[in-house]
Amino acid sequence: MVAEIKRSPATSPPEVSASTASSRARRGRRRRARREAAIFLAFAVPNLALIVLFTYRPLFLNMYYSTLDWTLGAPTARPVGLANYVEFFRSSEAGEVFLTTAVFTLSTVLLSMALGLLVALGLNRKVRGAGLARATVFSPFVLSGVGVGLAWQYIFDPTVGALGAVLRSFGVDSPQWFNNETLSLIMVVLVYVWKNLGYAAVIYLAGLQAISSDVLEAAAIDGANARRKFFSVVFPLLSPTTFFLLVTSTLSSLQAFDLIRVMTPLGRGTTTLIYDAYLRAFGGYNQAGYSAMLSTVLFVLLVILTLLQLVFLEKRVHYR
Amino acid sequence: MTVDSRPLSRRNLVAALIADYVPILLAILVVVLPLAYLVLSSFKTPADVVTQRLVVLPDPWHPGNYSDAARIVPFARLFVNSAVVTVVGAGIKVLLAVFTAYALVFVRFPGRKYVFWAVLATLMVPPQVSVVPNFVFISGLGGQDTYWGIILPGLATGFGTFLLRQAFLTLPTDVIDAAEVDGAGHWRRLWHMVVPMAAPSIATVALVNIVFEWNDYLWPLVIVSDPEMMTLPVGLTLLQNSENSASAYGIVMAGTVMVLLPVLVVFAALQRHIVTGLTQGGVKG
Amino acid sequence: MSQSDPAESSRELSRRGFLGLAAAGLSATALSACTGPSTSTDNGGGDAAKLDFTGVKPAGEITFWSSNPGASQEVTQQIIDAFHASQSDIKVQLVTAGSNYEDIAQKFQAAQAGGKLPDLVVLSDVWWFRYYLQDSIIPLDTLFTALDWDTSDYRDQLLTDYKYGGSIWAVPWARSTPLFYWNKAHWQAAGLPDRAPKTWDEFAEWAPKLKSANAGTQNAFQLPALAGYAGWSFQNVLWGRGGSWSAKDSFDITCDKPEAVAALQFLADAVYKNKWSGVAGKDSTNDLSAGAVSATVGSTGSLVGILKVAKFDVGAGFLPGGPAATSPVCPTGGAGVGIPKKIKPENQLAAATFIKFLTTPENTLKFAQATGYMPVRKSADPSSLIAKAPQAKVAIDQLAVTRNQDWARVFLPGADQEMANACAAILTKNGDVQSELSNLKAKLEGIYSSQVKPHLR
Repeated sequence: MVAEIKRSPATSPPEVSASTASSRARRGRRRRARREAAIFLAFAVPNLALIVLFTYRPLFLNMYYSTLDWTLGAPTARPVGLANYVEFFRSSEAGEVFLTTAVFTLSTVLLSMALGLLVALGLNRKVRGAGLARATVFSPFVLSGVGVGLAWQYIFDPTVGALGAVLRSFGVDSPQWFNNETLSLIMVVLVYVWKNLGYAAVIYLAGLQAISSDVLEAAAIDGANARRKFFSVVFPLLSPTTFFLLVTSTLSSLQAFDLIRVMTPLGRGTTTLIYDAYLRAFGGYNQAGYSAMLSTVLFVLLVILTLLQLVFLEKRVHYR
Repeated sequence: MTVDSRPLSRRNLVAALIADYVPILLAILVVVLPLAYLVLSSFKTPADVVTQRLVVLPDPWHPGNYSDAARIVPFARLFVNSAVVTVVGAGIKVLLAVFTAYALVFVRFPGRKYVFWAVLATLMVPPQVSVVPNFVFISGLGGQDTYWGIILPGLATGFGTFLLRQAFLTLPTDVIDAAEVDGAGHWRRLWHMVVPMAAPSIATVALVNIVFEWNDYLWPLVIVSDPEMMTLPVGLTLLQNSENSASAYGIVMAGTVMVLLPVLVVFAALQRHIVTGLTQGGVKG
Repeated sequence: MSQSDPAESSRELSRRGFLGLAAAGLSATALSACTGPSTSTDNGGGDAAKLDFTGVKPAGEITFWSSNPGASQEVTQQIIDAFHASQSDIKVQLVTAGSNYEDIAQKFQAAQAGGKLPDLVVLSDVWWFRYYLQDSIIPLDTLFTALDWDTSDYRDQLLTDYKYGGSIWAVPWARSTPLFYWNKAHWQAAGLPDRAPKTWDEFAEWAPKLKSANAGTQNAFQLPALAGYAGWSFQNVLWGRGGSWSAKDSFDITCDKPEAVAALQFLADAVYKNKWSGVAGKDSTNDLSAGAVSATVGSTGSLVGILKVAKFDVGAGFLPGGPAATSPVCPTGGAGVGIPKKIKPENQLAAATFIKFLTTPENTLKFAQATGYMPVRKSADPSSLIAKAPQAKVAIDQLAVTRNQDWARVFLPGADQEMANACAAILTKNGDVQSELSNLKAKLEGIYSSQVKPHLR
């Protein structure tokens, strides 16, 4: 999946053509196969056991928990069958949560990719300072989401925040970022994009630098102007990068939690599926079963999304 | 995109400089300004915070926010907690990933293709989905407010395994095969050949894991209730005070600086590796 | 895959390998079975009569979870130090376990599942009843007897807030009421009398003058941030118009009655039609201190914080009344301290010993001085308090005209959040008042029938 972008300077291992399978050592094969298998298990089982225990098992347990009326921490629960599902899908909440999740995911993914590409184009120059700029733009990506959320929360504060003060100096009142649900969502999207666009930028930069200059020169000789050159030559050549970013950014966007929790703890306007699941179990609703139901819904959604991507992947990108 | 190579007239030079440096400057400013404002604000008195005016430079400078933050939350202790969780968690994850990836690439096993897919598929499962069952499980084992309780559920590593497998696949097989013929067992091949040859990739995986462990929020948030066991991101939110949020902003900013600064320093020192590593491993963003 | 798997691999082996994996998976499921909730109907209800502290020796070290309401960490620590100086048997460790009551509640809730419980914990007005329902705190009456602790000196309105089923479940500590705060400079500029408005309608008349006399302000009035405040402080507006969230001392939800609708409509009009009020995004007392608004309603617990940062004279007064009632129209609020059930009796006894000290007349006064919260004891002499901040007198005087909160807010788990959501729909999205309140009623009744009624003992 990452094959295209992986060839970055610091780690690029020597390229090697497919090895000639060794044809030696045919004797004692059976005994050796047995030993190999034992070694395989010894090496892989600790990790596999953890994966089964903490990634796969919860998926199935969620399905069970989702049929309970249950408070986290309570020793007993009441089985309610599919009541949690019915309650969720019947209420207006389902539509709101799906819409919020979709809007948040789409806008963060598209914005950070588009802006990331722009930044990458701007930084794709062999001049002093380009390396520094690359590192700087990337740096928010490694910062704690909690810290970033707190810093921006102060900036966005309508009364004492810097943004409001700047707007007021132009005679404009500060938008009510924390009261208006739409604005809350926009605010969190903006901060999320600020934090994550460096990632897209750096990946696009690597993609751009992998495009050979011959191709670009050929296009220039053909008389293509900058815009034509970009849309007819560069962008198509970046399509594996774009696809990779689309997949990874969508996954991480769907997992966004830190910023939402820090900037809008009650989740008004920003309650995505993941955040709703958190609120229900841990945020004062005392509905752990309902939360498990939401996690299950999200999981099913992800499976569908993944299958769609696989179909697309088979068609578009060579995958080993 | 780039300015062509006509003779360097003055006008061309200026145009080139503008074309080259304006985007760079802009990109840097967008990132640096908010962070600089954060640092400046961490020195503001409550009077400089609770005002409608834009106060950029604190007047007077008020380093007291830092001592206040450290008094409200035991920052030294949280720092130790974060360090332990990060070092142990990331360390074990890298080891697990190395072993699993080695097994997947160099050890012959009939079902390893399926094992690989089982590992790969975990990349599609966000850890948040598992929080409630893992919370119940770890709590039931007495893991609340313990280091192992914070670390254990995150150890399963699909991402590192996947990345290292890809890296191992590109290693020169004939060299390793030759070693096998010479009688080197898997253990020796792993530690004397594969690990040294793939060291850059392994370092990358380690760095990525360090960054993620350090910043991880949701799991430590739910599994720790004892403030003595909190990690930095969890403890940081304690600085907000519901009924005096105004005066608290300065203190919160001071705490935030203390949490972000170590990462920024490490990043500045190792940025090349971290950028490379994280761009490969974005799956877990 | 780099190499093709050997075609002739041993079937037996692979089967064994996968059996191993399957076994690992199975044992994992088995493990989970012991840790998940049981679905048997055993309620395991606690029995208050079993609490007996005779012959129990208090524990040597206890932990106190606080969110430091009103930035009270320093003064709380001072009181703890004084406690240590007064005796040497019990050591108290103060831990900041959250930045607000909800954080603390989440932590306390999570710790029930097997975490490290505190020995005493701050319990806000909307949380303690939930812990009563879940049987995670103990009634304190036997401890009062065991420690020879006379509770008649606690202010009755504050102590009875924690009374249910004939027992007391917490001791008042950081107790507050909402106050009407105003900017005296703005008042002067508008030529208004130096007092809080008697009724909201009076303020509605003042508002245009305030606005025109003070050009730099955003609004004449700022409604407090809805989360945590809407359910609480709007009771004042509801009561003033003869409405309420629920009928007095009952679970009969009345938030959709015409009086309640009129009350919320009055606020909605203030924001949308008459435009004299805004809604705080984060903290309305900040907005007041920053000079962005001329008046607001905030907790007494914010008093000291406001006085510290405001660069103008701050007025504090009783909450305004309404056409139907002018007194009592002020709810009590804030937090008390309680003792968890799942800890040793030694710790419970030690915790109670400390709570007794924490709320002595002297210490409650000290606490009030540092934060603005009210002294919870009748015999605490507030004169020193008033000398330092005359506004504190208002809070204490207003206590005489407080009314216990509507059960719908304080006894229904999650109701406060639902009220805030409904008010947000009305006041920040200009939603239809009647339909939002009808929705709210349905939600509150749902909470009552599913989460409260089955557990009432």
